[in-house]
Amino acid sequence: MADVQANGVISGDAAEGALAYLAEMSLDLRGAAILGADGAVLAASDQPERWREDAAALFEVADRAGGESVEQIHVGTEQGEVFALRHAGLAAIAVTERFALASLTFFDLRALLRDLAAGGDGRAGEARPDAA
Amino acid sequence: MPPKPHRVLLDRVSGYADEAAAYMRRRRASRRPFARLYYKGGRAEDHAGDSAVGGELFVAAGRLIEVAGKKPKQ
Repeated sequence: MADVQANGVISGDAAEGALAYLAEMSLDLRGAAILGADGAVLAASDQPERWREDAAALFEVADRAGGESVEQIHVGTEQGEVFALRHAGLAAIAVTERFALASLTFFDLRALLRDLAAGGDGRAGEARPDAA
Repeated sequence: MPPKPHRVLLDRVSGYADEAAAYMRRRRASRRPFARLYYKGGRAEDHAGDSAVGGELFVAAGRLIEVAGKKPKQ
């Protein structure tokens, strides 16, 4: 399936809703942020300016390390785990408790970004009441 | 001939010690910090904490963990 690129009209409300849905789904989540193509924060659990700066620093180090644009970052420390994902021109960062399931967390982040990029509200995985 | 009672006790104690040592080994391995980067095409890289890039990744990740704070109480 071809990935849709974000067309740059993602509303802050949609991103906020997507973040709330992510927090609802992921019991291990401590905080998260969704960034636009230009690195601006579309939604963050708290302190958006800090999220923007720290996420940019993480992606900058990762891009430099591999000599190309990184797609996923997973860092585990004793204090918690950081997941970062670029998809469809957007980026999502999540901080979780230690030992969160990496594949599920990346799956949720990717689904969220894919849905937002397609103009949805980030709740693509949610069962819709009218989908009987 | 049944084993002497102190042999049974020693076997049991050394069994518990082996279990504890294995638990500690697993715990050390699972608590070791790691940094993994994934690129397009499935390429992945691991960076140790004592490498230059690994150190920078852990610092950047540490800042994000700090800004995220503790898990909100349910």
